Amino acid sequence: MIKLDDIIKDYSLGKGSSVSAVRGVSLQINPGEFVIIVGRSGSGKTTLLNLTAGLTRPTSGTVLLDGINLWSLSDKQQSHLRSQKIGFVFQFPSLLPTLTVYENVVLPTVFSTKLNPAQISERAKLLINQVGLGEKLVAFPRQLSAGQQQRVVIARALMNQPEVLLADEPTSNLDERTELEIMDLFRDLHLSLGITIVMVTHTRQLVSYGTRAIEMAEGRIVNGNHRE
Amino acid sequence: MNLLQLALKNISGNSFRSGVVSLCAFLVAAFALTTTLLMRGAETSLRLALDRLGADIVVVPAGSEAKIESALLMGVPVKFWMPEDNVHKIAAIPGIEAVSPQLYLATLTGASCCSVSDMFMIAYDPLTDFTIQPWLEQNFGDDLRLGEVVGGSYISATEGDQNIKIYGYLVTLKANLEPTGTGLDQSMFFTFNTAYDIASKSATQADEQLVIPPDSISAVLIKAAPGSDLYALSAHIMREVSDVTPILSSNMFQSYRQQMTGLLKTILVIMAITWGLSIVLIGLIFSMAANERRKELGVIRAIGATRRFVFQSLLMEASLLAFAGGATGIALSVLSVTIFRNLLISSLGFPFLLPSPAVLFLQIGIGLVLALFSVNLAALFPAIKISRQDPAIAMRE
Repeated sequence: MIKLDDIIKDYSLGKGSSVSAVRGVSLQINPGEFVIIVGRSGSGKTTLLNLTAGLTRPTSGTVLLDGINLWSLSDKQQSHLRSQKIGFVFQFPSLLPTLTVYENVVLPTVFSTKLNPAQISERAKLLINQVGLGEKLVAFPRQLSAGQQQRVVIARALMNQPEVLLADEPTSNLDERTELEIMDLFRDLHLSLGITIVMVTHTRQLVSYGTRAIEMAEGRIVNGNHRE
Repeated sequence: MNLLQLALKNISGNSFRSGVVSLCAFLVAAFALTTTLLMRGAETSLRLALDRLGADIVVVPAGSEAKIESALLMGVPVKFWMPEDNVHKIAAIPGIEAVSPQLYLATLTGASCCSVSDMFMIAYDPLTDFTIQPWLEQNFGDDLRLGEVVGGSYISATEGDQNIKIYGYLVTLKANLEPTGTGLDQSMFFTFNTAYDIASKSATQADEQLVIPPDSISAVLIKAAPGSDLYALSAHIMREVSDVTPILSSNMFQSYRQQMTGLLKTILVIMAITWGLSIVLIGLIFSMAANERRKELGVIRAIGATRRFVFQSLLMEASLLAFAGGATGIALSVLSVTIFRNLLISSLGFPFLLPSPAVLFLQIGIGLVLALFSVNLAALFPAIKISRQDPAIAMRE
């Protein structure tokens, strides 16, 4: 379970001035939910997602993951927790260009894993097959389309069997058809694995894929905590 | 996959950047090692040459100081003479333990009667010598007979099994001395008797006769009594013997030492500039690379890498590039100095001797450590900066 309690995030602009990206957000996400956070650009939704994963420190408030305050942990403990419990899908192309599809997918296991080498190989191949890229194991990112790259990112996010999948505008760089394919993939994963998904998007039409929608504006939740 | 494999993948995926960093490490290591090899080698050479001489003072005819240095260091043949009587005058000076005269000779240039052109030859008096004779007795328990010679380390027999032709006279190479890296390695030693025998027979056997002026010698080697003041002895010799110059062995090769010191200073300045520029260049490259890879490193942090891992991966890349560049530089440096040794000696104008394998390995190790240290030092600041960056901010750009 993810619990954010009265989170504020200010970014310093220098010379004593700052801007508030998130203003006193409290949110609870239960296991198995597919939460879609919508909002315009600059509404604070990406910052909220980063705060949820401990990728940036809140100015005030607490972030609890399964009851553990992320910012009470050391960098090592926090990284371990992130590696084991959270999978990430980013808005931008996030595959390492010097690694093949297979190597990118097994990358999270370099940092922490419960699997042995044979299991790592087996799981990576299974996930790559599941996202429909079984033929592209040794291809490099530059040899894939944007949609294929995003599928590899999803496979990578699932490699360490996380409890939560965080997706930051995962379809914003894709054409409409590929966007729907990726969203179908998310829905299938949610239904088949029961994984908790928190997805940020500015496309309202995608809200229907989730089990709950939250709308953000100017760093606050303006419409949320209702189930679709 | 592990940290090392990730670093290797990154290196191979960024060949230009990797190439420039390796090149810097190559230059630092190669320059440092070449300089060390040459300067230490030259120092060793001079020390060994003085040890070989075994004298505290060498007395030569006035005005021949530079010639004797050139002969001993570079093997440039010289001929100069002074009265043999000087030996007795010098021996009579209090504070002198032993004196031994020497004759300095040279083979002919391009003559069919000499196997080797322009070779410096030293004839010694076996009754008084304290340079070659003790070495012979220690190693062979024997003296040199008539017609036998001892060669420097580079001297080899050219006529038959053990013979070398000098002025149409076949001498037998009995042994070779240890290398000194100086002209002594290309010189030959024999007794006065052999010298006079060659001279007498050269009248009929050689293209040109070897002339040794009667009652003449070239130099007198002096061993001072323990506790003697060498400067006072030199002054005494100057007073007692006319037209001679005593050279203290500690002052021997002074002009070469000054030349070397000047060269060393220049090289050190160039090396410091090269090192500084390399550090700045590598630092800039790593800063640019870290900046360019900010998003990528933010992603790695987001999927579970610790700050330490990011820091280590950047320094691992730096170390691998430093090792590759440094090792190549060192290999090329050792190879060049070995292959072009003679060319370097003639162009630099001073001798040098390659160090023993143990010392060479030590110098190679120091060269590698310097390359690793330099590259890691340059990469340290960018690595610290990027590893401490908030992943969310790193990914934002």
